[in-house]
Amino acid sequence: MSQPRNSRFTLAMLVLGFVFLYAPILSLVVYSFNESRLVTVWSGFSVKWYGELFRDQQMMAAAWVSVQVAFWTACASVVLGTMAAMVMTRFRDFRGKTLFGALITAPLVMPEVITGLSILLLFVSIGPIIGIGEQRGMLTIWIAHVTFCMAFVTVVISSRLGELDRSLEEAAMDLGANRLKVFFVITLPIIAPALVSGWLLAFTLSLDDLVIASFVSGPSSTTLPMKVFSSVRLGLSPKINALASLMILAVSIAAVIGWWLMTRDEKKRQRDMQMALQKG
Amino acid sequence: MAAVPNGAPAGAPKNDKLGADNYLRIESVRKEFDGFVAVDDVSISIRKGEIFALLGASGCGKSTLLRCLGGFEKPTKGKVVLDGQDITELPPYERPINMMFQSYALFPHMTVEQNVAFGLKQDGMPKADIARRVSEMLALVQMEKYARRRPHQLSGGQQQRVALARSLAKSPKLLLLDEPMGALDKKLRSQMQLELVNIVERLGVTCVMVTHDQEEAMTMAHRIAIMDAGWIRQLGTPDEIYEQPSCRFTAEFIGSVNLIEGKIKDDEKDFITIASPALDCLAYVGHGVTGFEGQDVALALRPEKVAVSKEEPAQPHNKVKGVIEDIAYFGSHSVFHVRLANGSKVLANMINSQRWASEKFTWNDAVWLSWDDQAGVVLTS
Amino acid sequence: MKRLGASIRKRLPGPRWLVIAVPYLWMLLFFAIPFAIALKISFSSAAIAMPPYTPLVEWVGDSVKLSLNTGNYLYLVRDSLYVNAYLSSLKIALVSTFLCLLVGYPIAYAIARMEPANRNIALMLVILPSWTSFLIRIYAWVGILKNNGLLNNFLMNLGLIDEPLQILHTPVAVYIGIVYAYLPFMVLPLYANLVKHDHRLIEAANDLGARPWKSFLTITLPLSKAGIIAGAMLVLIPVVGEFVIPEMLGGADTLMIGRVLWQEFFNNRDWPVASAVAIVMLALLIVPIMVFHRYQSKEMESRLS
Repeated sequence: MSQPRNSRFTLAMLVLGFVFLYAPILSLVVYSFNESRLVTVWSGFSVKWYGELFRDQQMMAAAWVSVQVAFWTACASVVLGTMAAMVMTRFRDFRGKTLFGALITAPLVMPEVITGLSILLLFVSIGPIIGIGEQRGMLTIWIAHVTFCMAFVTVVISSRLGELDRSLEEAAMDLGANRLKVFFVITLPIIAPALVSGWLLAFTLSLDDLVIASFVSGPSSTTLPMKVFSSVRLGLSPKINALASLMILAVSIAAVIGWWLMTRDEKKRQRDMQMALQKG
Repeated sequence: MAAVPNGAPAGAPKNDKLGADNYLRIESVRKEFDGFVAVDDVSISIRKGEIFALLGASGCGKSTLLRCLGGFEKPTKGKVVLDGQDITELPPYERPINMMFQSYALFPHMTVEQNVAFGLKQDGMPKADIARRVSEMLALVQMEKYARRRPHQLSGGQQQRVALARSLAKSPKLLLLDEPMGALDKKLRSQMQLELVNIVERLGVTCVMVTHDQEEAMTMAHRIAIMDAGWIRQLGTPDEIYEQPSCRFTAEFIGSVNLIEGKIKDDEKDFITIASPALDCLAYVGHGVTGFEGQDVALALRPEKVAVSKEEPAQPHNKVKGVIEDIAYFGSHSVFHVRLANGSKVLANMINSQRWASEKFTWNDAVWLSWDDQAGVVLTS
Repeated sequence: MKRLGASIRKRLPGPRWLVIAVPYLWMLLFFAIPFAIALKISFSSAAIAMPPYTPLVEWVGDSVKLSLNTGNYLYLVRDSLYVNAYLSSLKIALVSTFLCLLVGYPIAYAIARMEPANRNIALMLVILPSWTSFLIRIYAWVGILKNNGLLNNFLMNLGLIDEPLQILHTPVAVYIGIVYAYLPFMVLPLYANLVKHDHRLIEAANDLGARPWKSFLTITLPLSKAGIIAGAMLVLIPVVGEFVIPEMLGGADTLMIGRVLWQEFFNNRDWPVASAVAIVMLALLIVPIMVFHRYQSKEMESRLS
């Protein structure tokens, strides 16, 4: 089997690419330990900014709001996204399926200012009539976030469903399980890792959103990005670096755990196959 | 169409082991996809306990027909009746039919035991009964030791056994096999073919299998239907299909065959003669056929029925001179590619029953080919 | 009673319809209808009221008065600010998409040619930065690009320049920011496409006499067209409406329509004009969005076959 190999040129470009991607992140972390307030002049090692961060009540409150919204957004997005993915990959064509597909995937590219503004206008117009959205707050942010996160989750899960061997589901039906049972007993357990990725993706997107949240939030529901944005406008602060470093730390730990789990699974799989081949 | 020889046996030979006729009736089933006709008005009647093969190249419609039987495709027209029950409209989970998939489709997140038990659980069988039945089935396929393993911990052959056990667990009225040996290597294949037939026959299960491998169909099935472009070209037992092909397509599809083109010269009740540009003398067929004088026909001769000799045979008919152009040596037998005077080629098999028998002939040898009166089949289409 | 229950159950939509209906209705209500509402409001005028615009339809005595104020759209067309902002946004989006392609293609190409075992790690490393806050990473670039920022200090310490380079608050900084933020969106579809290429095609080309660059240009590049288009759409369309990057890294003269919309809404409190800006932006992007949607459906369908 032919295996392409990378020339020195392409490898150099890859390395440059990674340097480009990670240099800013590294700078954030390094300067979070900077003694001085000036974010770009190093004057000594200190962890005081982390302390300042935790003492900032407003920042902590905003973080709590963001985490809650992100959690519920991720849950709802996974449920709705899985439904949408099933419709796109498993259901026969029906009238309106093209429109369905367009609606589900449009948020992937739609500029956030457009989505944010229009959902707010919806809440303002229809809110008084049906009772939701009149008071803007965590509920409205949740609704808006689910609306755009669903698209990403749908893509992740459709991709996994597309790769799934159809004959597994057919075999289950052949053995007597109706479609609903097949989904919960066969399909869902097998695509579970994709559901987890989708959940994490939606959580991150929601946690990170500034524009949409700015449009649809209310006075008491400031999200973390909104707080960071308003404080950054006032000038750079190492507190933000500290916040950034903590987020980077959290993400890195999650990534390492995920990678370790995956390679452990893979190694076990290899061992099992070897065992099977030997025993014939 | 085959020119039917007078006095030939009519209908399929009755195998005493098989049960009632018309156990499975496929009635004028037609399946269209967006204007493309995949299955073109196929009607088959299958006996209880019979192993029936749908044989054909890819795209001939055999898999689509099988899926219609399983309930995964709905026929555009026609009916499927199993043991008196019209199952055409039933979804797969309501049919007393089970299928063994080409990829085995073992549930990766369940153990072997759980896989085999799955169908029984759907029926609401009590736990104790399920456990008993599962061990029964695993014993049948000799996989008891692997009950707790997961599919990816098994080899291909082992996975196939589990798939078989799972599909037989519910004692289905009809078992469907989709290219059962497709994923196995050659040695395992022959072994598994016999084993599978033994198991199926022991349980008396009616079976429809789909394959593109003619050897597999010939070895395993009681009857074979050769399919092409959505319809059945010929239906019969393996030896009927081999010895009595009904048309050129079937003759060429199974095994190798020599087709000698010519015209009927003498058309009598108990013999005919054929004049062919390939032969110097006439071809003599020892039975009458439903044809007429002057009709264009092809004499189908299987290579193993053609004898090769250095000296001219005594018989007045059914012989021709040629030159050996190629020899394909298979160890147990040799296939001679003989070029005739008029340019056409004839294949002749010779079994190497004596040591170094293959050395009797070599390239560019002039030889005589001959066959007897009953060796060939006259084809008119 | 049992028969009644059974007949009711027969009439209710089965689970299949529910699975279609729930996401469908959600998106119709919270994604599609809002556009209609934005369209409606773009035809009203700003007012000191709650909500801050005049109603479209109102009762005047016994009759219904429909006031369609096209003034907002005329305002957009007449005031050069908006026209310039649209054009500038398109220009910036096209340039940065192209730059993103230049940077992202080699990365995707290199990863696609790695050993399968290493590929996933490399991909994860590309995606990982996106899992940390977008806002904060752009904020990092402020610290790097400003006059006494990391880059300038570094270059001046090396003696390469005497005066700090003015990068922050110029279009250059915006381009850097966009390429940085959207790189994964370009790399992933490109990678997905490139990894499916059959390497033997390149070997055949080499065998027939083509040198590495030639075979890249004549074989790999054309075959990766679908990936390029997908990546380009995933960058171009959202960048047209970008707000954060031009706001933080751009200058007062970096006109982007997303910023204009934001200012119109938050600073001027002129909801109708903001809506009109949004509708025009949407109209401009409809064609690229449809191109993207066609690619998406083809992707989903090809995976099924």
